[in-house]
Amino acid sequence: MISELLTRLRFLTFRKRRTELDEEIEFHLEHAIATRIAAGMDPAEARRQALIEFGGIESTREQCDRQRPAWWIGTVMQDVHYAFRGFGRNPLFTISVLITLTLGIGATTAVFSVVDRILFRPLPYSNPSRIVSVGFVHSVERQEFVMGRFYVEWQKNQTPFSTIAAQSTMVHNCDLVENNPVQLNCISFQASFLPLFGISPALGRNFLPEEDLPNGPPVVMISYGLWKGHYNGDLHILDRLITVDGHPARVVGVLPKDFQFPTLEEADIVSPFALDPAVQQKVNAGFGDPERVFARLKPGVSVEQAYAQMLPLFNDDLKSFPPSAKSETHLSIRTLRDRETQDVRPVAWVLFGFVLAVLLIACANVAGLMMARGAGRQRELAVRSAIGASRGRLIRQALTEAVVLSFAGGLAGLVTAQALLIVFDRLAPTGIPFISKAHLDLRIAVFTTLISCLCGVMFGLATALQKPRLAALNAKTSMSRNHAFLRRSLVTVQIAISIILLSGAALLLRSFTRIEEQNLGMQTGGVLTVKVALPSWRYNTSQKVMDFYLRLESSLRRLPGTRAVGITDSIPPGGWQSDFRFADLHVQGKPPIPPGTGGTVVGRSVTPDYLRALNIPIVRGRNFADQDRTGDEREVILSRLLAERLFPGEDPIGKLLLPGAHISSGAGAIVVGVADNAKNNGLTEESDPEMYTLRRSLLDDWSGNHLIAIVDSAMTMAAIEPWVRSEVSSIDCTIPVEMEPLNQSLNRLADRPRFETTLLGFFALTGLVLAVVGLYGLIAFMTTQRTHEIGVRMALGATRSDILYLIANDGLRMVLVGLTIGLGTALAVSRMLKTLLFQVSVYDPLTYITIPLLLSLVALVAILIPARAGTRVDPAVTLRAE
Amino acid sequence: MPQSTDLLQGTLDLLILQTLALEPMHGWGVAQRIQQLSKDVLQIGQGSLYPALYRLEYKGWIRSEWQITENNRRAKYYRLTQTGKKQLTTELATWDRLSSAIASVLGRATEAAS
Repeated sequence: MISELLTRLRFLTFRKRRTELDEEIEFHLEHAIATRIAAGMDPAEARRQALIEFGGIESTREQCDRQRPAWWIGTVMQDVHYAFRGFGRNPLFTISVLITLTLGIGATTAVFSVVDRILFRPLPYSNPSRIVSVGFVHSVERQEFVMGRFYVEWQKNQTPFSTIAAQSTMVHNCDLVENNPVQLNCISFQASFLPLFGISPALGRNFLPEEDLPNGPPVVMISYGLWKGHYNGDLHILDRLITVDGHPARVVGVLPKDFQFPTLEEADIVSPFALDPAVQQKVNAGFGDPERVFARLKPGVSVEQAYAQMLPLFNDDLKSFPPSAKSETHLSIRTLRDRETQDVRPVAWVLFGFVLAVLLIACANVAGLMMARGAGRQRELAVRSAIGASRGRLIRQALTEAVVLSFAGGLAGLVTAQALLIVFDRLAPTGIPFISKAHLDLRIAVFTTLISCLCGVMFGLATALQKPRLAALNAKTSMSRNHAFLRRSLVTVQIAISIILLSGAALLLRSFTRIEEQNLGMQTGGVLTVKVALPSWRYNTSQKVMDFYLRLESSLRRLPGTRAVGITDSIPPGGWQSDFRFADLHVQGKPPIPPGTGGTVVGRSVTPDYLRALNIPIVRGRNFADQDRTGDEREVILSRLLAERLFPGEDPIGKLLLPGAHISSGAGAIVVGVADNAKNNGLTEESDPEMYTLRRSLLDDWSGNHLIAIVDSAMTMAAIEPWVRSEVSSIDCTIPVEMEPLNQSLNRLADRPRFETTLLGFFALTGLVLAVVGLYGLIAFMTTQRTHEIGVRMALGATRSDILYLIANDGLRMVLVGLTIGLGTALAVSRMLKTLLFQVSVYDPLTYITIPLLLSLVALVAILIPARAGTRVDPAVTLRAE
Repeated sequence: MPQSTDLLQGTLDLLILQTLALEPMHGWGVAQRIQQLSKDVLQIGQGSLYPALYRLEYKGWIRSEWQITENNRRAKYYRLTQTGKKQLTTELATWDRLSSAIASVLGRATEAAS
């Protein structure tokens, strides 16, 4: 009888598949019942009591299941699965969030990776914040330099630095003469240079002190690139003799792969600096050669203290300066970071600001969307809660959704960021330091992902955390209005930020078109520049140099289609050119100009057809002529600006300039003409006055062996390039030639503003897209939420246009408020852009009229599409649906 | 029925281990034994007994096997493993330290010691 009862009980209790646990519990119950019956209890009562004592069998089963070490993975999978189903049901929401996260994370990560190196990342040296660049600065040279004679004294007498080391001022071309000769860039530094930066060679060793002495053993270090590229990474490179500029030198070391010169120059071969105090006392009028000097501050010494300690030395040096130069030369000590990043920092900060703004928009978007979704799901949450889901479970579900979305968005964002970095690298001009070294930074990626997830999670949870009320079950009372104000504010802020971004980008765009359209004062089309650098170890006399270039000039003139050929030491409007001080000009019969006034003048030493080749018009007097080359007199042509400065209200023709700056010796030079101004200080800076001196057929006029031929031709550039090349090699077949149409190099000059404009424009557009997505999403959501209300209104006789007005009015108010706030802020912060703008006011009216109009238009579309959808509501359907 | 005392967190594990240290036993036996030894003060709710047994088994402190009881019934017997024995020693030491600490805080150090 008992066993029959127990069997029945078994089937009553365990109808599911029997497990070991079931059998165990069953065993337990049998014993419990048997004990009670043995104690004299009625079997039915015994069963009842035993079951009561045991408690919930199902819950025991669940509890036991939960002890399994990884049981929660199953529930996470369940959550993820549920999340995906939810996304599938609501594709508009999912896509909006994904787009937002992809763009937000992608764009911000990419740009932050770029600016991070400029603004925040330490330089690749050991303890870089203690390294300074130290030296003189001058109105003509803004980067610190030290003349050799003074450096010898500084080395001995300086107190604030633990190490000080010099590097030659500029890389120079040098020839590696081997079975396949190449022209390379050479530089030299002292043996103390690498230790100062905490760098040790990748292979071999640094220079020894005895190698860094005058007439020391000839040794060199080579760059990693040269080692890998030219020598195929040959490990036997050490101790090998290579021939540089005709002199054999022993390779002692290879620089590290990522080594970066503090001047950001690129060099292939480094030789010891071998400072010779005796020589430095003599050359360059007794001042010695200029050099770049870097030093490491002693512990505890600040830059200001170092400055104070170096000042007496500097003042001593100043005594030997010519009076005219004294007032314009200053001591400067600044950190290496300042020296390396100063001119890119404004752009970097603006970019950084843009990054933050876009990130803010993205966060606002995610937050708004999550809140909207949360509000829309209250009924569902209430149902789940009513059938037994705990609050923890609901919250975990919300978290799972946020994490899954963020993960997908983050992944897509990373791909976008990587792609963007490649694009940036392609677009970036060579002048921007570090950009080629920028790589996707995972820390930044994780940071941006976390930020956007945090927004999503915070606002997603805001709704999940509220205990779903039973009221939500009967959907007639919508609780969506709880957060309506917050959501509206978010959209308003987004609009405001995108106005700021857009107007900033528009200002830059305007500035860029100004740069492109400006009158340069010369022709750039149909002009080929031919750079011919003669190796100084073979062309070691002025005679050889002059012969070469004059032969080149006459052979280029004979080419078919050639209109004019000029030889010059530099070409406008950018790049290297020789500058001198205005105050150093002496005009016969005029009092000397007070030193320190007038700024700098560009001096160009040219052959007679230079102005013709660039089509720079002569406004007064005459142009140079071929017969001037052999005449006794020396002729100069002034730019209009220089003529007005030197001879205000006078006729400059026939005036005599006495020897001084740029006119080295002899009886001086006669002004024969005035040429129109040509842009000569880069594309964006104010032009300097300019003086053209004629290269006569005299040896004195042919110093320097890096000259440029300018060919004005009627033929296409592609057609004459091979001819030019063969003409050069028929004179000397080992000379490398660099050719480029002038408008191409001009284009390169505009690269930097173009890059900045593209980058910021891209950001502004990203911001706009995000803001519009946010606006659209919100209006669409609010319209859906109000379906019932719209149905009632229409049933009571409201027309479609009434409804359209009702919804659009709401959105337009947000846009208007956003516009006003945004415009105000934009006007207030646009001053930050000032240094980046060219001939465009930071309050440019056109920009501040167009951009709000544009944005209103886009916003209107984003409002009208969902609003129109709202008017299609059929009142009969919506009212019955409840 | 005497008021059953709430078990301290982790104490149930200790009691089960101690009970199984004597001989292998099935779940019902463990519950009965604890109740007897505590003179009905400690009544193990089955809702917490079986989860605790499973937890200890997952931790590797006890092992289970099916055996035939004296009544010819199949039952799941639990026995202490080697690690379980070590765990029991440490838990007992911890318990002694804890209880004497609590006793001295409550000012009953002498009573507890006697």
